[in-house]
Amino acid sequence: MLLKDQVAVVTGGSRGIGRAIVQALAAEGAKVAFVYRGSEAAAKELEVAVAAAGGVAKAYQGDVADPEAGDRIVGEVLAEWGRIDILVNNAGIIRDKLFLQMEADDWNAVMTTNLTGAFTFCKAVAKQMAFKQRSGRIVNVSSVAAEHVNVGQANYAASKGALNSLTRSLAVELGRRNVLVNAVAPGFIETDMSAAVRNMAGEDNLKKLIPVRRLGKPEDIAAVVVFLAGPAAAYITGQVITVDGGLSLGAVSG
Amino acid sequence: MTRDQIFGQVRSTLVEALNVDDNEVTPAARLRGDLNAESIDFLDIVFRLERQFNIKIPREDLFPESIFQGDAKFVADGKVTPEGLVELEQRMPYADLTEFRKDPKMDKMEDLFTVDLIVRYLESRVGTK
Repeated sequence: MLLKDQVAVVTGGSRGIGRAIVQALAAEGAKVAFVYRGSEAAAKELEVAVAAAGGVAKAYQGDVADPEAGDRIVGEVLAEWGRIDILVNNAGIIRDKLFLQMEADDWNAVMTTNLTGAFTFCKAVAKQMAFKQRSGRIVNVSSVAAEHVNVGQANYAASKGALNSLTRSLAVELGRRNVLVNAVAPGFIETDMSAAVRNMAGEDNLKKLIPVRRLGKPEDIAAVVVFLAGPAAAYITGQVITVDGGLSLGAVSG
Repeated sequence: MTRDQIFGQVRSTLVEALNVDDNEVTPAARLRGDLNAESIDFLDIVFRLERQFNIKIPREDLFPESIFQGDAKFVADGKVTPEGLVELEQRMPYADLTEFRKDPKMDKMEDLFTVDLIVRYLESRVGTK
């Protein structure tokens, strides 16, 4: 157990990649507080599934786009478990549209959840990690789409590119207090969020873009989050780790 | 609170925040130059002092970087201008500017931030005669 008795907070934890991260952290012995916005049934089901596997996970309702959510939930977790060793900013949304059809609402919704949400949760844990504990790990779930952009994702790409910059900035400012900040950049992962893209493009066509010839699973991302949260990553900070089966290499199949 | 009492509490705060030994925290010790404080440590120190003394400490009071904000009236050519010195005197009456006046280079300014400056500052806030 790599993370025995540690406390983790995972946003966007009830479904998709977040759910796999919650399960993987709990399997390594961490007590996991996860934040869900609307999927209460999925959240409750995850609590039960983690407990059945011998772990501890507790659901907290909240919207990371709410500026109060970070302080409130972090305060509740500290009251319950006394410390926070790991923060995973995973909550993210898409509102894909061609730029010319993209309205301010589409832009703001994506930036607020994907970027500002990470900011408010980082702010909420930073004093605890840097000043009280003098240790901590923050992992931001970014996307290969930050650097390898797709049509219709100006808002999403901008939010993830900025999240990468936030990752590097926090790494520089908090490193002295042993708070390590990294990001994971997934490629095409089999989740509800990527279903539309997969349906539109066709899975076989997508696989041709990926050197390992399969889509990623949420567990592929969760494993890297566990690594970045664990003792083996003690000298890594400010990095964006791409986990995409080689998609971002941009190779032509054949 | 007497000056000695304040010094004692400041010393224990700095020992905790900066991982230094008791005997390193002398009145003349410079936070940056002698005790190796960096910007994040100044924040930590301010938060700890606020809790310990139950006061609010405005950011500019003990935070070297934010005093002039690069304002040309106050800093020019890497030096604090005469106007800047007047400003400094007004904003930080608890600082001992004697040495600094002789060669008011910006990069020397951090030397003003000594343990004694913190003690005098706190004395101005919570001290009793």
